[in-house]
Amino acid sequence: MPTVTFLPGYRKATVPEGATLLDAARAAGLSMNVVCGGEGKCGKCQVYVKDGTVSFDREKYRRFFSDEEIARGACLACQATVAGDVQVEVPAGSLIEEQKILVEVPGMKEIPLNPTVRKYEVRLEPPSLEDTTPDLARLLEGVERQSGPPPNRVYAPLGVLCYLPQVLRRSGWHVTATVALVPGGYRLSSVDEGDTTGRLYGVAVDLGTTTIVAYLWSLVDGRILATASNYNRQISCGEDILSRVNFSRRSGLTRLQQLAAESINEALTTAADAAGIDREEIFEVMIAGNTVMTHLLLGIDPGYMIAEPYVPVVRRMLSTAAGRIGIAAHPNAGVYTFPAVSNFIGGDIIADILATGMAEREEATLMVDIGTNFEAVLGNSDWMLSCAGAAGPALEGGEVLFGMRANPGAIERVRIDPDTLAPSFSTINGVRPRGICGSGLIDLLAELFRACVIDRTGGINLELDHPRVRKGQYYPEFVVAWKEETSIGKDIVITENDIKNLIMSKAAIHAACMTLLDAAGLAPTDIGRVCFSGAFGNYLNKENAVTIGLIPETPPERVGNIGNGAITGANIALVDRRRRKELDGLARRITYIELNADPSFMDRYTSSCFLPHTDFALFPHVQQTLEACRARQGVRSWQA
Amino acid sequence: MAMKALDIYKHLPKTNCKKCGYPTCLAFAMKLAVGKAEVEACPDLDPDTKSLLGGVTRPPVRLVTIGAGERSIAVGEEFVLFRHEKTFYHPPGIMVQVSDTWPEDEVRSVVETVKETVVQRVGQDLVVNGVAVKYESNRPERFAATVALAGGGSTLPLVLIASDPAAFEAGLAVAGHYRPLVHAATEENWEGLAALTKRYGCPLAVRAAGPAELASLAGKCAEAGTPDLVLDPAPSSLAGFIATATEIRRSAIGRTEPALGYPLYLDAGAFGKTDAALAAGILKYAGIIVTPPLASASREAALTLRQNIYTDPQKPIQVTPGIYPINEPGPDAPILLTVNFSLTYFTLLGYLEASRIPCYLFIADTEGLSVLTAVAGGKLTETLVADSLKKFGVADLVDHRLLVIPGYAAPLSGKIEDATGWKVLVGPRDAADLPGYLEKEWKA
Amino acid sequence: MTEQSDEGLTIREVRLGATREEGGTREVSYVIGGERDLPFSGDGAGRPLVALEICDDPRFWPPVVRDYVGDLANDTAEWARAAERTYGADLVRLNFTSTKQRGFDAFDAIAATTEEVLAATARPLIVEGSNEPELDSEVFRRCGEAGEGERLLLGTAEADRYRSVAAAALAYGHAVIAQSPIDVNLAKQLNILLRETGVPQDRIVIDPYAGALGYGFEYSYSVMERIRLAALSGDADLAMPMICAPTDTLSVREVREAAPADQEAMAVAWEFYTAYAAIVAGASIVCVRHPLTVERLKAALEG
Repeated sequence: MPTVTFLPGYRKATVPEGATLLDAARAAGLSMNVVCGGEGKCGKCQVYVKDGTVSFDREKYRRFFSDEEIARGACLACQATVAGDVQVEVPAGSLIEEQKILVEVPGMKEIPLNPTVRKYEVRLEPPSLEDTTPDLARLLEGVERQSGPPPNRVYAPLGVLCYLPQVLRRSGWHVTATVALVPGGYRLSSVDEGDTTGRLYGVAVDLGTTTIVAYLWSLVDGRILATASNYNRQISCGEDILSRVNFSRRSGLTRLQQLAAESINEALTTAADAAGIDREEIFEVMIAGNTVMTHLLLGIDPGYMIAEPYVPVVRRMLSTAAGRIGIAAHPNAGVYTFPAVSNFIGGDIIADILATGMAEREEATLMVDIGTNFEAVLGNSDWMLSCAGAAGPALEGGEVLFGMRANPGAIERVRIDPDTLAPSFSTINGVRPRGICGSGLIDLLAELFRACVIDRTGGINLELDHPRVRKGQYYPEFVVAWKEETSIGKDIVITENDIKNLIMSKAAIHAACMTLLDAAGLAPTDIGRVCFSGAFGNYLNKENAVTIGLIPETPPERVGNIGNGAITGANIALVDRRRRKELDGLARRITYIELNADPSFMDRYTSSCFLPHTDFALFPHVQQTLEACRARQGVRSWQA
Repeated sequence: MAMKALDIYKHLPKTNCKKCGYPTCLAFAMKLAVGKAEVEACPDLDPDTKSLLGGVTRPPVRLVTIGAGERSIAVGEEFVLFRHEKTFYHPPGIMVQVSDTWPEDEVRSVVETVKETVVQRVGQDLVVNGVAVKYESNRPERFAATVALAGGGSTLPLVLIASDPAAFEAGLAVAGHYRPLVHAATEENWEGLAALTKRYGCPLAVRAAGPAELASLAGKCAEAGTPDLVLDPAPSSLAGFIATATEIRRSAIGRTEPALGYPLYLDAGAFGKTDAALAAGILKYAGIIVTPPLASASREAALTLRQNIYTDPQKPIQVTPGIYPINEPGPDAPILLTVNFSLTYFTLLGYLEASRIPCYLFIADTEGLSVLTAVAGGKLTETLVADSLKKFGVADLVDHRLLVIPGYAAPLSGKIEDATGWKVLVGPRDAADLPGYLEKEWKA
Repeated sequence: MTEQSDEGLTIREVRLGATREEGGTREVSYVIGGERDLPFSGDGAGRPLVALEICDDPRFWPPVVRDYVGDLANDTAEWARAAERTYGADLVRLNFTSTKQRGFDAFDAIAATTEEVLAATARPLIVEGSNEPELDSEVFRRCGEAGEGERLLLGTAEADRYRSVAAAALAYGHAVIAQSPIDVNLAKQLNILLRETGVPQDRIVIDPYAGALGYGFEYSYSVMERIRLAALSGDADLAMPMICAPTDTLSVREVREAAPADQEAMAVAWEFYTAYAAIVAGASIVCVRHPLTVERLKAALEG
């Protein structure tokens, strides 16, 4: 049988001789624009034959083509039949769905604008005694004529039917219908007077435990109109996930549900006001949150997730109407939540994965999302492994004497002169320092290590005779900034205890990465790229992260940062329904490894509790650099 | 050769249908790769793929059962050369040897001791497994009588040691239906013995010096219809046994010589140093160890060593968390925080009981981790201590609020004070120093 | 420098003790290590050494040993002499239990005892100094100095207190026991720390910490096996000989609560099985406390 190849994209279909190019296109998964139904009447399904021949009566359909098009081999896909192998170019205008307005999603380029909700402007013939078609059927037939879905597949909620007759007549039978693709068909979300097709909005939301981030999109042209962020109001019921779940168990579920909706509404309102749009014209909301946050937003009891055997109620993608959960968009707007893998790998991580594009690549990507808890995902288009664990708060500045979040005054970058041990640092906003944030701590660890102030376990060498190295009140410490330099009136130090906490945190993450690699039977050198997700990765010095052994040794050019992957993923899923549709399948094929049940995890952890690692063979490059570095300083390390 | 998870995954249907009981095909592949799942669990594999993947999980050492009934033992079916690689599954059977030249009373006394002596440790009953009857009388009927005296196989598993076919005939006429181990087929007599053991369905020990000779002999006996074999490498020294046993186990594990995939036999009395031989046999791959009668100290130490070595290294024996009174403590007794790692607990218990100091051992659930690793891995935290104090009602037991914590947990002392409101005393790091510490430092 | 090869490694040879030719006063010195294969397989090392452990303050010593040695326990030098001459130990391990007393400051006695024991013995000496970070520096300096030139095996270095032992070993030419809590990674880490401190790798002996039989000994056993396997497959940072000193063995319930008539037999059996298993796992030196165990072990290792 002949093979038909469609350009661009090289999609292929094998069809019997005599089949039309339209048949072949369908077989290849392309949706051609055939307004007439494939009868050679509308001329919309033009294609160009590049190589090979087809049987096509060019004279009969001459009227659809310019001379130039004829010269390029134009024909109508519905009327041209296949005679042998052929290569065909399909111009963008001949395809229905992929009217590719390429969208710049921050952090990811070139996503096709392909939302699930559309508006159809229709002008209808008013009914008469000769034509007594009911209002709904009349409207939907009009929608279908605009290339909309067939009427029998569209579900019309009662609420819409109640106002439909008035809107149709008041508008003089000129309305805009908003139709959303929903599982199993379509939903008529709204009918409005006149032409409102220029105003169709969607919102992507990162529903974080601490903060909410929202992006407001025009789904007509794929522009981001405004962004907003605010704190999660649930914080009043508990700082962390566990305390929220406990609060919900004390019959606080309704309250937490309301607070989640209110928090989203605050962001949504801020963004809508900034863009000057009406929230009622938001027809789609895509929400990425961890498993507990998603449960709480939907009012589903999360109580069984926090104790063994840690079972969530639901992990698939859910959709509901905004009005049902108190989201201040159009009441019929579809609210979608990301699916989860387990209660530890939630929708936020699926969004991260989407943001990395790792599920579409052949090379293996390692994605790490670092906070007090961390999640790690390793995989490619064929397989994917994930795990999660507690890193402890040290990398975010917690449990560190002068640790702080990445706020103004935080030391974010540090270098230490290996000869004089004098540190030079920069702070966020350039003000006098008042603490050290995660990226600064990682720099410090790497620099102290290079300068031989600390040994490989993080122990400070008190035998160094230097004013910055001192015994400290409880633990040995190194002075990063003298009190005269700071804004807090005391020396900013890093203690041996801080360093050991940091090493334990980095070890947990490294051990998790190694667990994934070992489960897949891969070596660190097999990792095509490493992606950090989350605020943590923003200011991170990649080389230092590798030097201390936070992640498996990877050349710096392969390490990237996707920023807030949750919002990026939500943005992608909002604008591209094809990728959204794949999310459930993606979540289902991710294998979750329970680190506590893995007997070798502790072993890996212990070997990672060392700078950079007990097994140098895993860090050949770091080892080389360090040896060179130590050779330069030689004597000081011990006998000074 | 063991296949890696991703290699196995390539052969699976990738439907994530869960019919195997695992959430994804890859999860199933990972279990297959470490031998923790059976390829049969997947209903959608064709026979070729099954056999390709099935080869990964077949045990390299055959499981051989000796004896019948409650005290019967199964040895073999091991997968690794070193216990840390996975675990050792089937502890060797220890069989006390008697001679048919001994007076009846002496035999009876040995048999009684084997039957009745139970050492209880960590919730397990440890026993010496059976009796080996050695043919030295040159009178088959005497041999048969001694076999009968040893219970005839119906109560304890037996090993029948002889070289004369007539002795075996007589012995098996008594014990043949209770699966005694017949020792031993050699290059000279194997045909007769193979036929005899086949008739009774008994396991057969084959004896030859060196792995190659053993493999050849085992192959012939298996072909002759005695599938349950035990290999006696006839070592000339104890060091020789360790070396040969290691070599044989390595071949079996590596599946380079299937005819060596059987449990091993060791005569611990052969070298004039029974204790060393018992230890070596337990450590290095013996499936059946025949020993002269043991003094109680040797017996207890040997059984304890066997229990230790056949403990699953990936599942530390954990102590139930709680509050344990030691030496009848009163309300002024110290509360000593520790973890539920069994080694830590037993060590502490040893020193504290010996010291006669009344105290409470307060065991937090660190999931079986030692103090050092529990502190490092964040399993021992101030929250855990505070919660456990409440959960076990510690405050009701004593009239003070002082908590002694292990020296290795010193970094947590401030946090524990804050979280519990108890005053924390940092104790020594070494259990041996605890009694001394308490004597000097403790006053409630 | 790390040294690796595909062929696998030979365990590093470590010399203990120094004869007159070697700058000391010992009648013999021992070289341990040198194995190229698992214990009892293939060629390589000589017979493992059996050390009898004694102490300078018998209040901290197991009663079953005190009962057996009687008055010797109060004369450290005589006890040491008997260990070699009467009990047949290959060498003595001197444990400074006196440092366990509160407020210990008898540093002169440490030096004196070290000298006396060296004078009373003809073979290499293992010295177990303090177990208290505050005392380490002075204790190790004093016994290190007293034994200068004798290539003592000085214990013990641990990950968070290795600098004092290392300093004494470097200053006075001794070897070091590197003890880590039953973990192959921690053992390797400590060896790296010592290496980076300047301790030559042929002066390090690994003590992976031994639990008593029945009380976690299996962890120690497997860690010893893992250390040896890693070394033989090319990990130079683990390619040192091992010492096994299961110090809790005589405090276990089985020994303590044995009927008086059985107690000695139980003590010896418990020590014997532990030590012998450690040898099978690769230990080059096993330390025991009951004199009768020495004899049993040596007999088991002959031939």
